[in-house]
Amino acid sequence: MSDNPTLPRKAKGERPFFFADPDVDKLLAMLMGLAGEVSVMRDRMDTIEQLAAQRGLFNATDIEAFEPTAEVMQQRAARRQEMLGEITRIVYSEIEGLEGRPEDKDRASYAEAMSMVEQETD
Amino acid sequence: MDMNELEQGRHDMLPKPTHDELARQQFARSFKEHIVAKIHPGVRVAYEKRVEPEITKTTGKAPVLRTDVEPFMTKDPHYQMWSALLRTSQEIMWSAAQKPVERDLEGLVRRSKVNGGAKGSLTLDPSLAVPRYLSAVDIHCQPGGYHTEVVSDDVAPGAVYDRAVFIYAMGQMGPDNSDIGRSIIEWLKERRPGFEPARILDMGCSVGHSTVAYAEQWPQAEVQAIDVASPMLRYAHARAESMGKEIHYSQQNAEGTNFEDNSFDLIVSSILLHETSQKSIKNIIAECHRLLKPGGIMVHAETPPYAGMEAFDAFMLDWDTVNNNEPFWRRSHEIDLKQLAADSGFDPDKEFEEMASSAFQVAKAKRSNKFQGGDFGGGGFWFLYGAEK
Repeated sequence: MSDNPTLPRKAKGERPFFFADPDVDKLLAMLMGLAGEVSVMRDRMDTIEQLAAQRGLFNATDIEAFEPTAEVMQQRAARRQEMLGEITRIVYSEIEGLEGRPEDKDRASYAEAMSMVEQETD
Repeated sequence: MDMNELEQGRHDMLPKPTHDELARQQFARSFKEHIVAKIHPGVRVAYEKRVEPEITKTTGKAPVLRTDVEPFMTKDPHYQMWSALLRTSQEIMWSAAQKPVERDLEGLVRRSKVNGGAKGSLTLDPSLAVPRYLSAVDIHCQPGGYHTEVVSDDVAPGAVYDRAVFIYAMGQMGPDNSDIGRSIIEWLKERRPGFEPARILDMGCSVGHSTVAYAEQWPQAEVQAIDVASPMLRYAHARAESMGKEIHYSQQNAEGTNFEDNSFDLIVSSILLHETSQKSIKNIIAECHRLLKPGGIMVHAETPPYAGMEAFDAFMLDWDTVNNNEPFWRRSHEIDLKQLAADSGFDPDKEFEEMASSAFQVAKAKRSNKFQGGDFGGGGFWFLYGAEK
């Protein structure tokens, strides 16, 4: 952690939302934030490739010609599934809720749980 | 694209970004370029194919004003998507510009302290109030605006602004973001061949993007530049010194300065007027009249007024008013400029409203040649408003 002062993050003034549901705007902003990070990563990989080529380690042709072993392919496939699982978590967590115990189904049952733990005495 | 568009001109006050900080800024720029080139054109298609016919069908007449377009267009899914992406790109841009500044702020403040050998000067006035029109909301969504200071002798807003303008303009305002100043100079050369102003005032100069162009063009002239925000001026002064330009920066409000009557040959501003208010724009033009020598000229660069524009184009140009924290944008584009000049003491016959070609022509062919939200540097022209005294 640095002790640098923090610049203001939010611009003063109400933020407009354009879609009927502002959550769509928020999702889009997150998606583009993610795209930005992917782009940063891709640029960094490119730097690594350029440096490697400059120093005679390997070049773009070597990368194209690279044939992963079955083990490497399996590792990659598993990593991709894990990543997709993280990204799409929200989609199947809803289904998991439906499939779970009956009390997980809705907000009302959650409120019951809250009231239960709040009122429970020894 | 040549290097002048790809790389900002170096000077001592630009923080050196890390590899990933730079990549993040480059993404912000690519994202904007993508919106301008690929997504924006679809907004017109959506308008022509489904929104305009809908307006005509519903209201029984073709749209004439931007207000005829607005209630229908804001419901169009493609317009909504373009708007949401453009707003997001603006937020990503500021954040990306902030990061290296925040990391290197101590060093920037240190480097801003020009010790001896200064060609120009810096005069701050801590008692000067930040006008309401700048403090009410953070103009064009720069977090903290021009004026917020988080450390003593802060220069961060200037450093963030300098970098963000280059990203925002996608390099189309030149490596030093000086296109507006340069365009005014080129226009003046045609209007007044041989014009050699002895004393120049740049109002609302921010970090001096245009100011430097005047100092470069007329090295014999005394160049004064004013702004209300001290962090911008500290940065502007250090930047000008590192570029070897003699400019005298002072913290003053353009509505009422401490300069003497009839003392300037040329008074300029670059996209200042739309960031003021109904009351202050009158004060500023009146102040120009007071300060100009007889025969002197004021030139204010903006984007063109809505009058005479197609309803759709005016609606699109108006996007920033509500969506990019530019509260005076709309009114400033609808004001009666001839009347404003006349009310301020100028002869209405000596008032002018003209389009000047962008001086940074290198990439003109690649530009969109349209004034549109998110791409004002891509218009290929600047609207010049002014008068001779």
